[in-house]
Amino acid sequence: MPIKFQNVSKLFGDLPVVDDLSLEIDDGEFVVLLGPSGCGKTTTLRMLAGLESVTSGDIFINNERLNDVPTQQRDLAMVFQSYALYPHMTIAENIAYPLRVRKLGQNERRNRVLRVAKLLEIEALLGRKPRHLSGGERQRVALARAIVREPRAYLMDEPLSNLDARLRVQMRGELKRLQHQLGTTTIYVTHDQAEAMTLASRVAVMKKGRLQQFDTPLNIYNQPANRFVAEFVGSPSMNFIEGRIEHGTFVSDVLKFPIDRADEEVSLGIRPEHVHVSTQSQDGGIPAQVYVTELMGNETFVFLSIGSQKLIARAAADFRADEESTVWVRIETAKAHFFLKRNPQITPI
Amino acid sequence: MGLLVLALLVALAPVYWMVTISLKTEIDQFARPPKWFTFTPTLEHYYDAFVTRSFSEYLLTSAIVAVVSTACALVIGTLAAYALTRFRLPYNLDRKLSLWILSTRMFPAIVTAVPLFLMMRDLRLVNTKAALIIVYTGFNLPFVVWMMRGFFAEVPRDLEEAALVDGDSRLGALVRVVLPLVTPGLAATAVFCLIVCWNEFLFALVLTQTDAAMTLPVGIAGRVTQYEIKWGVMSAAGAVAMVPILVFALAMQKYLVRGLSLGAVKG
Repeated sequence: MPIKFQNVSKLFGDLPVVDDLSLEIDDGEFVVLLGPSGCGKTTTLRMLAGLESVTSGDIFINNERLNDVPTQQRDLAMVFQSYALYPHMTIAENIAYPLRVRKLGQNERRNRVLRVAKLLEIEALLGRKPRHLSGGERQRVALARAIVREPRAYLMDEPLSNLDARLRVQMRGELKRLQHQLGTTTIYVTHDQAEAMTLASRVAVMKKGRLQQFDTPLNIYNQPANRFVAEFVGSPSMNFIEGRIEHGTFVSDVLKFPIDRADEEVSLGIRPEHVHVSTQSQDGGIPAQVYVTELMGNETFVFLSIGSQKLIARAAADFRADEESTVWVRIETAKAHFFLKRNPQITPI
Repeated sequence: MGLLVLALLVALAPVYWMVTISLKTEIDQFARPPKWFTFTPTLEHYYDAFVTRSFSEYLLTSAIVAVVSTACALVIGTLAAYALTRFRLPYNLDRKLSLWILSTRMFPAIVTAVPLFLMMRDLRLVNTKAALIIVYTGFNLPFVVWMMRGFFAEVPRDLEEAALVDGDSRLGALVRVVLPLVTPGLAATAVFCLIVCWNEFLFALVLTQTDAAMTLPVGIAGRVTQYEIKWGVMSAAGAVAMVPILVFALAMQKYLVRGLSLGAVKG
């Protein structure tokens, strides 16, 4: 169901944790709240769940104002970072818990538990206790408990962060598929931009309690609203070159090219894939020192220094260069982003 | 090992002495040198205490008072402790309240004996079990609150929040999720409350004078009279008084060890 945050703020004492957040989430959307720790994303989720009060502003689900509705009546399902499985209950009892408190009949309960257990392939675990399960299995049980009833929305608080890397990627895919199958509005909190990019239909990037940008993953990546978003999304991170625009030319220590913009102190942002390196001298290439190269197997990250300027380039898998050797760099200036130095919140048009 | 034997000797010798006294004839009780092992056992003191005299009534009174007041203290104290650990009250009231509750145990019990007697007299509760139950409940409450506060603090908040999101009420989450996790703590607390109530002497002496509400400790002490000390009857009653606590503590042993060390090690 559609969810709306309208000018929502949360203060802990005098400290604003969420600051004037407005967000409209459509029915069936998979929205990821992305940001570094302490950006207010978890608090936002907890306010929606009713586990945290709202200092000011309103939260709506399906046009019903939620602020004063107690948690148990909000009809949302939440997956916790710690999974929060009930340790003294078996897996079957854990999954059945939301049905038990809704006083569903024994048969109906058993059928529904079996159905989700089959969906998540955990039928064999039903008789066990949580402490006998591996991390990945616990994760599935936590998911099963969330989807066993049909809530108005799923809330997920960094559900994959306790899994090892391989399992995380696998569960990520399964989560996405599951959400497609169920078609239920999902709000997902993470600090992992790869999760955000792969899962979300739209990503809300937050920093220090304020919403920075709310858009599709592709737009977030290709048209970051400000320097923070540009820096936070993408791995390796975007390169920045400090400079200024003077009489229609971008001027910096390492780079100079014509650009049709007003005079201003700016930072130029360029993604590593738009920095091309070559071991051969080339026309218009900027000579740079190789600081270190990282072989990823399918590609190579080249860490460069041009004077005091550091740059990261994404190169082909077979690119090889020794440390401290000289290579030539070409920057795809058409793909550059510009951020005003006096106000990095805004990208100049 | 030697120390252990010594400790056991110190702890168990009086118990052995009491039990043997209760089984000896009055002549054997005062034999010199003492008859440690060789005497003809008799149950006459048990018969005297529990059939001829009213010790079976005292036993029943003690049991009712101990069980009911322990139950009351556990219910009230557990709810209070839960609220004090989980809800932040304005002006740090949760902390201040907890300390205030503890402070009620910081003065000698005798200080409250006379005021309590006067209150109970005005309420016409002197010589009733109700008086003892009320006083013992109040006496045990701070202990329950502080013990349970520690146990509740160990339970991750996530679990209760999950229960709430799953649709359960606060009380439902407490009963279905939190309490099962603090059972060892509850058991340990219950044992201590029972022992305190069972052995309590001062308030029982002040608040009861007749057989109607006399507890075992007061009843036993009452056999020390102006003219004689009924060692046999007192020992017989004392030996019987040990049994319920012993049985209960043994039954709870599994929880006791876990309860007292809960939180010492994570996991």
